[in-house]
Amino acid sequence: MSAKKALLPEPAVVQPLAVDMRRLTRVGARPGFLDYLVQLWDFREFIYYDARARVQSGTRRDRLGSAWLLLNPIFNGLTYYVIFGLLLQTSGGIENYVGYLVIGIFIFQGTSGAITSGARSIHSNKSVVQAFNFPRATLPIGLNIREMMANVPLILAMLLIIVLIPPVEKITWLWVLIIPALLLQALFNLGVGLILARIISRVHDATHLLPFFMRAWMYGSAIFYSYERFVTHPELLAVLKMNPLFNVIDILRNCILYAQPPTWQSWATLAVWALGALLVGLVFFWQGEESYGRG
Amino acid sequence: MVAAEQVLDVEGHPCVVVDRAAMEYRVVTTDSEAVAQERRDTSFMSRLGRRPNTVTVRALYELSLVVERGESVGIIGRNGSGKSTLMKLISGQVRPSSGAVFASSTPIMLGVNAALMPDLSGHQNVVLGCLAMGMSRQEIDQKFASIVELCGLEDSIYLPMKSYSSGMASRLRFAIAASIDPEILLVDEALNTGDAQFGDRSKRRMDQLREQAGCVFLVSHSLDTITKMCTRVIWLDKGHLIMDGDPAETVRAYQDFTGQLAKGNNLSAATIRDEARANLQMTEVLARSKMRRSRA
Repeated sequence: MSAKKALLPEPAVVQPLAVDMRRLTRVGARPGFLDYLVQLWDFREFIYYDARARVQSGTRRDRLGSAWLLLNPIFNGLTYYVIFGLLLQTSGGIENYVGYLVIGIFIFQGTSGAITSGARSIHSNKSVVQAFNFPRATLPIGLNIREMMANVPLILAMLLIIVLIPPVEKITWLWVLIIPALLLQALFNLGVGLILARIISRVHDATHLLPFFMRAWMYGSAIFYSYERFVTHPELLAVLKMNPLFNVIDILRNCILYAQPPTWQSWATLAVWALGALLVGLVFFWQGEESYGRG
Repeated sequence: MVAAEQVLDVEGHPCVVVDRAAMEYRVVTTDSEAVAQERRDTSFMSRLGRRPNTVTVRALYELSLVVERGESVGIIGRNGSGKSTLMKLISGQVRPSSGAVFASSTPIMLGVNAALMPDLSGHQNVVLGCLAMGMSRQEIDQKFASIVELCGLEDSIYLPMKSYSSGMASRLRFAIAASIDPEILLVDEALNTGDAQFGDRSKRRMDQLREQAGCVFLVSHSLDTITKMCTRVIWLDKGHLIMDGDPAETVRAYQDFTGQLAKGNNLSAATIRDEARANLQMTEVLARSKMRRSRA
């Protein structure tokens, strides 16, 4: 290599050119953080169109189409019901176990779906990233909005199951609190998705770890058992209850099943997690803005 | 290397300034000899953070260019000479490993490699692509008919893109990229796709865009196209700048070079290249304000 390089003669002359650089900007340069947020807002039509088009095309390959969005958590719920409810009897002491399980599974699947697709958003859309110059965070944001749109019928189905399957729960005003809880959950999903998207675009190995991480998180989120039954150590219990996903599920269970107003601690924990993850995610993702187009 | 004594002032505001940009990639190799060589050259600690069996490939050596408004720059060279890498650097798709590229507005790359979303219909891809370039929905609605006309897909525009033939897909990509009127236009072999009918139409649109654009960069293996369309031609070889100047002259030297290579006269080819390189006048970019400060 070095021998070949030496063969090539030096150029005859190096001509310095004085250039007025004032009106020039570096191509592909990452804007300041606030400018970046403004850019994201300017691309809102792109985000929205992207999300809507993907919802429509997501399940077109399957014969049952969008029904799979609903069938998937129902089958999951049945599996867990048979294994944990009937065989392992983890349901001990839980009032309305079916409702308890259904809320846990539907909510967890919402988050795991959103985080997984958000995390892969840059990697799986590399061709679009390389073709056009647009703020890259629009992709994870669009995917999260898509997940939110796809989630609406799921949440309705979840509520329907709870209302129809005995023990039947009454609809109370507390059900309104479902909306802010789900919004905070969505912000949290987006934040984590943004963080993972940058990590995966740099170190692709992380995609292999993601399913294990999600599974461990699922078993740790009191979906088919209650913390109180298995954890006696008060400090450990307090740590487990910091889990943001547990807080979403717990808030919804209290509102929907037990007609109890959720504690302010649950709301505070969830809000800190959601806003914290979103802020950290946006900053972290923005810092890598110039690296996503690399081949 | 001799430095010129006089600093030349570039009048007005140039469109594109490439300031000592260089690019190197780390890629996986199956050449065990090269891996062993790499192992000897680098310390154990610096290898730890890298993937195994990779070597550094220098796609482009340090290069500076100043391109002014109204220039059409053709880039020629053999396969793997760094033409596409240079285009990627100028378009901002990839950041150079050292140096920087400056431009007066966002350059638009008109290529056929811009893959879109296969599950979505051609229509949805048009809207998405245009939104991604920063157009508004109204603008897109206005331009939609002309985009469909340019790509000639007619009713197939409503079918998913995965059902398109590769020719149809590249026509759609070209039409999307050509729907915006950019100040700085980069064209990578876009003219060579599609059938004769599309070739005609795309050529007309290209001519239009070139007339409106502030400056154009064109990569093509067709030296005819380059000589006809460009006002300045750059010859790259293995990542080095060999020649930069008049289209006819540069293309002739390059043709001599490839002609000798085709005949198997590698030595005479190398002589032609070395001669051209020895006569090269390289550029060095000085920011005007900075320079004044350093002189004062």
